Amino acid sequence: MTDLVVDRKRTEMPGSVRVVRGSRIRFGGIARFVFIGLYCAFLLLPLYWMAVTSIKSQDDQLSDPPVWFPKDPTSVNYADALNRFNGWKGLENSLIIAFTTTFLAVALGTAAAYSMARYRTGKHLAFWFLSQRMMPGIAVIIPIFLLYSRYSEEWFGFGLIDTRTGLVLLYTVFALPFTVWMMYAYFRQMPPELEEAALVDGCSRFQALAKVAWPLAAPGIVSAAAFAFIFSWTEFLFAQVLARDHAVTAPVALAGMITFFQGNLYGQASALTMVTLIPAILLGMLVQRHLVRGLTLGAVQG
Amino acid sequence: MRRRRRPSAASSWVDRHIGWLLVSPAVLVVLALTIFPLAFSLWVAFVQYDFTLGPEHPWVGLDNFRENWRDPVWRSSLWRTAWFSVTMVSVELLLGLTLALAMLRPFRGRRVLMTMFVVPLFISPVVVGGFFDLFMRRPYGVMNTLASWVWPGTVTINFSNDSPWLYIVLITADVWQWTPFMFVILLAGLAAIPDTLYEAADLDGAKPRQSFFFVTLPLLLPIILIAVTFRLIDAVKLFDIIFTLTRGGPGTDTYTTSYYLYQQGFEFFHLGQGTAGAWMFLIMISFISFWLVRRLLKPVEENTL
Repeated sequence: MTDLVVDRKRTEMPGSVRVVRGSRIRFGGIARFVFIGLYCAFLLLPLYWMAVTSIKSQDDQLSDPPVWFPKDPTSVNYADALNRFNGWKGLENSLIIAFTTTFLAVALGTAAAYSMARYRTGKHLAFWFLSQRMMPGIAVIIPIFLLYSRYSEEWFGFGLIDTRTGLVLLYTVFALPFTVWMMYAYFRQMPPELEEAALVDGCSRFQALAKVAWPLAAPGIVSAAAFAFIFSWTEFLFAQVLARDHAVTAPVALAGMITFFQGNLYGQASALTMVTLIPAILLGMLVQRHLVRGLTLGAVQG
Repeated sequence: MRRRRRPSAASSWVDRHIGWLLVSPAVLVVLALTIFPLAFSLWVAFVQYDFTLGPEHPWVGLDNFRENWRDPVWRSSLWRTAWFSVTMVSVELLLGLTLALAMLRPFRGRRVLMTMFVVPLFISPVVVGGFFDLFMRRPYGVMNTLASWVWPGTVTINFSNDSPWLYIVLITADVWQWTPFMFVILLAGLAAIPDTLYEAADLDGAKPRQSFFFVTLPLLLPIILIAVTFRLIDAVKLFDIIFTLTRGGPGTDTYTTSYYLYQQGFEFFHLGQGTAGAWMFLIMISFISFWLVRRLLKPVEENTL
């Protein structure tokens, strides 16, 4: 219990409350680490299996008893997944789509959330945004398919089917509810005094937002961005229907391997999964601190 | 002395309407991509829109809705969706909360663990489903080997057919993927509870358990609600994992409502019926989440400009 050193700096929250130390819930020393250890095992086992499958030869993948580590590790799965099964293309598209979506969702979502928190455009819109997330994808996927493949061509003169633009637009709409909600809660919890002071000093309302509120909300923005990225990085259903070839994304390529008609290509699938984890881990390390900081969602008030 | 610049007419107009100007781009983007699909799908729900029956779309009123209601598979899929999502979200909440409590105070290696814990979030659910399928396959899946370690004798469970096991695997797969989500949000919530409250509780002679139930939980409740609401809305739409793990089988034993609707629409091409079902489903979801959200929006004081 007592041997745990508390690092104040790292756990300090932005803006308002000072945090941590002391009595919390006494989650006893040993029980605590046993639990963390067990959870790690649960988490790592599938990940280990993916990693090890990606370097197994075909024979080792489906052998009985299972092979825990191959005698002759191979990189053939990686080459195969990336070159023969749309791997590179999927990764490239996924990266471009995920980053653009994240940027758009955060820009639009933060502005909307700020307005809802400060200018009473609020509550009803909040529920409306949330309700956008409830529709089962299945219900709108046909109309969206028709809209993209036929009507957008007829009405506006450009087709959106199988394009990155089409997916980016759609993902932005899907990512917005969560972004808006997180930022809405975040802004509501931020004291308005600083912006008021900026207004008194002659800033326009827009400047108060751009120069005061946005920088202060940075941790919240980072976590909102992380979730928008995660969403567009892993989405499958819509990509499967709307992007078969030119705009194929990594999850679609992966599903193609897993449900390959001649049998499942687990080696290739796990190889590509390993590659998709690289940006994930980089991003995870980059935003980890902010992720937790920014996520209080403003709900806790002491 | 600093002189205030006189704002131009345009910028003062911007300033007066800034609330609406800021919120409208997001609203417009959402509207642009949802109005047509929603209107169209509402129409589809009331006509015969069936690729197996030809290109005409005569009005059929409520037939599509009735068709769903009569189908026992639809009804069982609804129940299954309900208990699946409630079980999944509760397990994730419990695990995530315990984990957040365990990870709250810093220790050596905490950062590395945190980065590791969020990894499942970045893996597409299709992949997670596919791999849990690989784990449970007989005879080469690794699950039986593992079970043989803990359980005496050789375990040969047919995970993909025996009823409780199949569900356990499905739920485990979802829990594996989404516990990090709960964990991250709850950890943030826990970290924001000010210390002074615990000190006060200490002074009043509260035992650790009491300070958990009377300080931590009440303060964490709004955040728990947010996390649960978002998880629940996603969990009831469970599709990807089913798609690669069981394909709804054996028979229709693991059909969730989303998977059922997908089958109706994309395997049997009964688009009318599938869409009608989706609307029925949407109405059910919105009742539940409206109730949850109303409680969500209450407690915070307003900080308006």
